[in-house]
Amino acid sequence: MTGTDKYLEELKWQRDEITRQQHEIIQSIRYASLIQSSLLPPESLIQKLLPAGFILFKPRDIVSGDFYWMAEKDEKIYLAVADCTGHGVPGALMSILGISFLNEILARGESYRANRILNLLREMVMKSLHQTGDVSQSMDGMDIALCIYDAANKTMQYAGANNPLFMVRKDVLTEFKPDRMPIGISGHEEHSFKNHFFDVRKGDWFYLFSDGYVDQFGGQNGKKFKYDPFKSVLLEIAGKKAPDQKEKLDHTLEKWMGKYSQVDDILVMGARFD
Amino acid sequence: MRLLSFRIQNFRSIVDTGWNQLSSDNITGIIGQNESGKTSILEALKSFYDGKISEDILRSDLSMPVVTCCFATGADQISDILRDKLLPAGVMQHIKKEKKIILQRAWNDDLSSIMLFNGTEVEKLFTDFEVSRALKEHKIAEKLDKLLEKKEKARKEYQKADDEMHQAEMMMEEAKALISERTRTFRSVKKTDQKKMAEKQLAIAKKKYEQAREQFLQKQKLSKEKNKIFAEVNDEARFAEQSKQAALEMEEAGEKLRESTERLRKLQQLYDHAYSDKERHGISLEMDSANEKYLKTVQIYQQARERAIIKKYLAYKILGGLSPGAAEKEIEREKPQFNPYYSREEAGNILAGHIPVFTMFEDFSSLLPNRIDLVDILDGNQKTEGFAAAMNFLHVSGLNAEFFRESNSRILKQKIERLNRELTIDFQDFWRQRIGKTSKITLNFELEHYDHTHPEKSGFPYLEFWVKDRNERLYPKQRSRGVRWFLSFYLELKAAMVANQNKGRVLLIDEPGLSLHARAQEDVLKVFEHIREKIQVIYTTHSPHLIDIRKLYRLLAVQRAVDDDENSETVVFDAKSLTSATTDTLSPIYTLMGSRLSEQQFIQKKNNIILEDLSAYYYLSTFHQLLGYPEEAYFLPATDVSNVQTLVNLLMGWGLDYIVVLKGDSSGKRIFGKLKNSIFGNDDTLASGKLILLKGYRGMEDLFSTLDFKKHVLHERIGIPERNSEFVKENHLSGTLLASSFMKHAQGLKITDFDEETRENIERLFQAITDRLKVQK
Repeated sequence: MTGTDKYLEELKWQRDEITRQQHEIIQSIRYASLIQSSLLPPESLIQKLLPAGFILFKPRDIVSGDFYWMAEKDEKIYLAVADCTGHGVPGALMSILGISFLNEILARGESYRANRILNLLREMVMKSLHQTGDVSQSMDGMDIALCIYDAANKTMQYAGANNPLFMVRKDVLTEFKPDRMPIGISGHEEHSFKNHFFDVRKGDWFYLFSDGYVDQFGGQNGKKFKYDPFKSVLLEIAGKKAPDQKEKLDHTLEKWMGKYSQVDDILVMGARFD
Repeated sequence: MRLLSFRIQNFRSIVDTGWNQLSSDNITGIIGQNESGKTSILEALKSFYDGKISEDILRSDLSMPVVTCCFATGADQISDILRDKLLPAGVMQHIKKEKKIILQRAWNDDLSSIMLFNGTEVEKLFTDFEVSRALKEHKIAEKLDKLLEKKEKARKEYQKADDEMHQAEMMMEEAKALISERTRTFRSVKKTDQKKMAEKQLAIAKKKYEQAREQFLQKQKLSKEKNKIFAEVNDEARFAEQSKQAALEMEEAGEKLRESTERLRKLQQLYDHAYSDKERHGISLEMDSANEKYLKTVQIYQQARERAIIKKYLAYKILGGLSPGAAEKEIEREKPQFNPYYSREEAGNILAGHIPVFTMFEDFSSLLPNRIDLVDILDGNQKTEGFAAAMNFLHVSGLNAEFFRESNSRILKQKIERLNRELTIDFQDFWRQRIGKTSKITLNFELEHYDHTHPEKSGFPYLEFWVKDRNERLYPKQRSRGVRWFLSFYLELKAAMVANQNKGRVLLIDEPGLSLHARAQEDVLKVFEHIREKIQVIYTTHSPHLIDIRKLYRLLAVQRAVDDDENSETVVFDAKSLTSATTDTLSPIYTLMGSRLSEQQFIQKKNNIILEDLSAYYYLSTFHQLLGYPEEAYFLPATDVSNVQTLVNLLMGWGLDYIVVLKGDSSGKRIFGKLKNSIFGNDDTLASGKLILLKGYRGMEDLFSTLDFKKHVLHERIGIPERNSEFVKENHLSGTLLASSFMKHAQGLKITDFDEETRENIERLFQAITDRLKVQK
């Protein structure tokens, strides 16, 4: 065997090895995605808590940094849509932390307000990532919109870490602004999240979402979709049935994206409590 | 059953003590000056138990004494005790709910007494039941009486109609006879005119007959009608008459039962007051025969009673329209309802037989004498010095009159030696375990006979007691008062245990510390502590050495309503209201504490807030300044949660008002429970007026939101998902250091610098404090 042959053989071996490793990694990520999806609320729970709602969930990769969470306790329905730092595997790992912490908070048996859940979630993330404000430490964390619907009193609480809540009531969209701080350490000292508290009326639609939809590049000039068009779509679809809304949102996004690839995980949750 | 509380009315200087809770840990001390009425309370309780009072306890207005006691018990126990008859509906449920019963002894003018099952609800249930039963009985009796009246009326009417019928019949017969007579006349006369006259007369007679016959037939018809009515009513009334008869028989049986009971009661009185065994023996034989008769009368009465009730209801039902057969069937079904019900007095008497045994321990008769004549013991001469102690001794030793009749002096001596050995071992055990003494005291008694130096008693036997310590052999009176007291007290406890093995006991001890030196008095308290699991102790004292400063909740204070006026009534203050007692009354406590501190600035008369520790003090006094309310608050830190109770005692003793703030951790909850139980008789409402338990806050740090805790206390940016208090503990931080640094840090802060969660927590706590302090004003 000549030197060239040997070199080609080596290259071939390396190519095969990379292919094998890639295959293994993908297999492993696929398995991770199974674990991640098993942590997300099962379809039966979604049907129970959000029979008139929808979830549009489009992970960019096999696993996602976005997650949604829901639970029911003492006649209250808890909903959250979160967007973890990064996407893919790092985001997925953070999302698993987020889901676990939210479950743990609810299991503590105390009746928390929405903002105090976020305060506590931030403490948990900070502790688990050893965040103390030192610049050399990770600034990982998540943005989240969290709502608590009190079915007995027909009231809603909302608290947000960078993620807003949109409400469409009689063709008018109201935006509940989030606190401009993440769940996790940031450049500024932590403050308590603000708790928004309001009545829910029949026919109100609530939308919780990550920034994936509005930040998606597309259109003729390859720009971000942005909030105003997103609000217009929501106003347009708010009167429709949940599957139609989901379809319209998806279709609008696909059309906007055109040839552009998806840049981030996309998650929109629509909820109505009648 | 455990004695929970008592109320005494019209007993010596006492007009009405109101309800007084006894200490939940079974040791209650009654403090007060001489002549304040302390002993009267013990005497009243003793009288409650045995029913005995003397003329000299009566008040000048001659209002008769009433003593009411409340006992802890369960519905199961009561239904087991009161199983022979029924209780009105609702009574058992009430006991089940309250878990206690109230018994009241009230004396009559002849100094006899009745024991009643008492309590507002119980009294109402009994009264309602008795009224409704009486109304029903009255209704039935009225109906039966009316029927009997009706029957009597029908009988009379029938009798009258029958008489009238017979009278009409006689008149008819007379008219008939007249016809015969005139027919004969008519036939006998020949002359025309006579014939005509006779014919006319016959015609008149016939007419009369017709009229009489008509009259008779009418009367006969009426009589038959009346007879029918009577027969019907008579049939109806048959059952009412049987009922009346049965009622009469029951009354007769009842009268015999009353006679029999009275006889037994009199014999019992004679037995109780008999002075000698011989006399008692004679009476007991009579009692046996009377008892046998009594049991028979009870049986007869019960049968008569059942028969009377059945007959009465049978009559009532038949009158209501049922056939006799159907009525009988119904009665059979309803029979259990006819079972007798307890009256309040019956139930009270039976329950009184199951309450703890109340015994009084007092110096004169309860302290072991040097010697006592056997005849005084056998004759039951209670006025002999040391009688009670000597009797206790005999009970403990298992001795009776028979023992001393042993003619063989050698055998008697051996028996006495054996008993001395057994008693000594037992007493040494008591001496060591209960009092902590190690000296080997031995207890001896001997049976001796008076010699010629006592010519008036020469040859008579007496018991002599000795207490030996190493080689020293001394009479009880030669020993220290402490040894003699404990020895006698040991005999009292042992005797009571022998006599009442299955019953609880309430030991009433008047001035146990009298003339004992300080150490011995403290030993008395030690003994109380040892026996309190089995025996409730209520003692009077004015010695500070017989008060446990950490347990002032055990005290009741007694004084006269008007200071220095021995004619004014006795008033009693329980632990919660000790502050209202006078300085003189509370002097043992003040003596114990050294001084009264109510005049200095650290602690005030009111608005004192007891806290568990220094960290609570730093946090709360800082927040008090930040909030600016309540206007006056004096925070007193105990050095540890376990000392809170002592601090509460101190304040109670000093007569100062207080509230307590406790953390919601396990030790805080435990102290809360203890205070609630010991001071407030487990009453949640009373306890919550003074005690604040910070539920959900295991440490004072938990009053902060996590963010504020990090910002204002910890000064670090780290994640704290656990409670702040848990973080402090897990990281081995000094809570006191953190709190004191917070106090300094907070000097430039305003309450609005804290977030909404912290503010809510703090404001809620201070509002609770303010509300409680307002009540003190």
